[in-house]
Amino acid sequence: MNCRECKEHLYEYLDRELTPAVEQEIRQHLTDCPPCGEQFDFEKLFLGFLRARCRAQGAPADLKRRILDELLDE
Amino acid sequence: MTPPTPPTPPPPAPSPAAEADKRASFEREALVHLDSLYRVALRLTGNPAEADDLVQETMLKAYRAWHQFERGTNAKGWLLTILRHAFINEYRRRTRHPETVDIDAIEPFSVFEELQDEDPQGTFFDRIVDDEVLRAIDNLPEQFRETVVLSDVEGMSYEDIARVLEVPVGTVKSRLFRARRLLQQKLYDYAVGMGYIKGSAK
Ligand SMILES: [Zn+2]
Repeated sequence: MNCRECKEHLYEYLDRELTPAVEQEIRQHLTDCPPCGEQFDFEKLFLGFLRARCRAQGAPADLKRRILDELLDE
Repeated sequence: MTPPTPPTPPPPAPSPAAEADKRASFEREALVHLDSLYRVALRLTGNPAEADDLVQETMLKAYRAWHQFERGTNAKGWLLTILRHAFINEYRRRTRHPETVDIDAIEPFSVFEELQDEDPQGTFFDRIVDDEVLRAIDNLPEQFRETVVLSDVEGMSYEDIARVLEVPVGTVKSRLFRARRLLQQKLYDYAVGMGYIKGSAK
């Protein structure tokens, strides 16, 4: 696998969407090729950062109770 | 003269026990996804009051259709599909204008390549607060916004996202790629503006 092929699978790899065989090929390339490894690490960090920043928010505390009350009227 | 047709008997009212069972299973399998539904609703409507209404309406619709839900399948995906349809039919016109984007016109921008020398570990991300990230997501065109929220916030698989958005998996992939690059670019521009990083003169 060359750098271009490896980068084409960047997000599929990080999203765990590849077959084990392709995943293994990429893992091997990342070990052998530090520049690609650095880029994948950076992108992985970015996705983790997005998720962490957006998941703090949940539904308002009383929303569940209001929905349950509504279901009782059904 | 034709004899009057006998009145059809009314369907038996569900027993209170059956109703209680239905509510219990709904609470266990559907209401556990309330936070996810709310987060998605908030990003779609861009407004807490509308998100609240949209989630309530979604849950009510889902409860009425609960007998159609195939137990053991993906309840979160099923609920999100109901939510998205309700949003498109009833909220989108009121809140935001649907945007269509020429996806190919967006030049993918790799922040990593810009920062390879200055901050290859992306430490500047740590200084960007929640609100700024949410604002960047909210400013994405709708197709990108919904794809990125289902993937990066809710952690859904490409296949599940494709099912909810009713698009091919390949479309999910290309939207995700461009949405993430767009987000990186916005956050990079913000970080340069705030002086967190120097960035490259462009
Ligand atoms: Zn490489």
